[in-house]
Amino acid sequence: MLQAIKPKKSIVWLYLLIPVALFIFSVFVPLLTALYFSFFEWKSGQTIYTAFFNGLTNYKALIADSIFWKSFWNNIYLVIACIVGQIGIAFVLVLFANSKLAVGKAVHRTFGFFPSTISAVCIGLIWSIIFHSKYGLLNWFVVNVLGGTKQTWLGDSAHVMLYVSIPLIWQYIGYYMVILFSAIAGIDQQIFESAEIDGANGFQTAIHITLPMIRSTVLVCLTLCIAGNMKAFDSIWTMTAGGPGYSSYVMALYGYTVSFQQSNLGYGSAISIGIFVLSLAVIGGSQWIVKRATRGLED
Amino acid sequence: MSRKQKVESNFKPAGHGHKSAGHYAGKIAINVVLWLFSLSCIFPLFWMFYSSLKLKRQFNADVISIPFGNATLQNYTDILNNADYHLGESMLNSFRTTGISIVLIVLFSFIVGYILSRIRFKMNRPLYLMFLMGMLIPIHSLLVPMYVLFRNLGMSNQWYTLLMPYVAFGLPMGIFLVEGYVKGIPISLEEAAAIDGSSFSRTLWQIIMPLCRPILVTVAIIQIFSCWNEFSFALVLIQNVHLQTVPLALTQFKGQFGSDYPLQMTAMLITMSPIVVLYFAFSNQIIKGMVAGAVKG
Repeated sequence: MLQAIKPKKSIVWLYLLIPVALFIFSVFVPLLTALYFSFFEWKSGQTIYTAFFNGLTNYKALIADSIFWKSFWNNIYLVIACIVGQIGIAFVLVLFANSKLAVGKAVHRTFGFFPSTISAVCIGLIWSIIFHSKYGLLNWFVVNVLGGTKQTWLGDSAHVMLYVSIPLIWQYIGYYMVILFSAIAGIDQQIFESAEIDGANGFQTAIHITLPMIRSTVLVCLTLCIAGNMKAFDSIWTMTAGGPGYSSYVMALYGYTVSFQQSNLGYGSAISIGIFVLSLAVIGGSQWIVKRATRGLED
Repeated sequence: MSRKQKVESNFKPAGHGHKSAGHYAGKIAINVVLWLFSLSCIFPLFWMFYSSLKLKRQFNADVISIPFGNATLQNYTDILNNADYHLGESMLNSFRTTGISIVLIVLFSFIVGYILSRIRFKMNRPLYLMFLMGMLIPIHSLLVPMYVLFRNLGMSNQWYTLLMPYVAFGLPMGIFLVEGYVKGIPISLEEAAAIDGSSFSRTLWQIIMPLCRPILVTVAIIQIFSCWNEFSFALVLIQNVHLQTVPLALTQFKGQFGSDYPLQMTAMLITMSPIVVLYFAFSNQIIKGMVAGAVKG
């Protein structure tokens, strides 16, 4: 009789077999294979059988590889730009949208969220037209509205990271707005009313009441933002492909270029492991820092 | 209630006249900022739409003007009549890949999520941890080995190639959403079913699954967007133009018609249309689903 609640082990495993096998095959087998390949010299022209073991050579090269580290710091740049831009702007806009003065909240929600449902490839293509040095919308605006001169935008190696981060930030502001919005909606309205009685202004209420009350949601947003930007690839690939030169390379893009355009699969595997280690380190490290920094706020 | 009345009695008489001037300035400022943002989110769609009705020459002469009077459907007929562009083909590929992936993700998430939530066995927590770890592994560290494995097993460039990574990477979030949801269903339901003689499988499919409908819809919503939009795996595992998914076809398109922006915009609009229609038809449910997935997953 209890077979329905405590089914036979064989039935449970029969149900689990396909999903678990698929998951191991697609996630853990490749990870281990990448680790294995990373100890081999395996360049274009070589096959899996003619690749030869070269120990830690790939890793030594990786540690000394300035392009790899530049890519890593570009990822960090994106993470910081997007934390400030996405979560920061989203927070301010949510406060605005939450005030009694705002008109058309539902429209802001629907319109604002829209870009996050579009593929990063499309976003990248649209923005490369917007940024275009000759026919771009932005240059049209600069010339005809601001009366300035045409800029090269994505061709400007000194500022290209700033420009590629704008579409990334813009795409997800609405997404974080909705998350923060639902968190703020969960706060007891009386708290805001008493703050108002006590004479707190909007800014004070935002910093001292709203932000601490939605701390756990902000943490979720931070994690999403960090994890999302450590794997930035699609939109940068379509906008600049890493250029000009190496100025807008990110780790995933560098890994792709080395592995598939230069056909250096051995070194590409070492980069893959580098991406794995550094991404986990940044995500874990940031969690640790945030937990320590907010520990004082617990009580 | 009494507190609310107090607020009003405190504020209104005190500085009503003074407040209204600042009140209107504030109202205008807040709404201008909000509307600027919202319109910026929707403007590209609008811009792409009316630019798709222009020819390259018209667009290059003036990138912003609306083609009143001389709108043309030339770009659309070009794209739809020329099989070399592979756009229709790529949309079919995307529909197939997304559709099958969603069904499998929902099905497997339901099974694994239910079992991990309800059945006690030795491997329960290890399996849970394994799926949790899967969420943390950056997909770009798996591209090279996947390419090599799929190549050597003859599994790249097949109609089913992308299903495996899509389903595998869609599973963790689905499993966690289902697992959390099943915890909220009273176990007495399954006990009653068991007493009535229902087998494990029967309870699973006929009693639990209908109850899980809302969360399974959420899982499906999240995955529709991520499968339809996925690019990295497609780029590495698919070289055959006849098997390209939409994002891949669009980047190819950019390579071929790099300077014909209205044509590119037309291609983007056509391939975006299913997602755009879906989004504006069900935006409330979609937003709720995506946010639930982000916060709980």
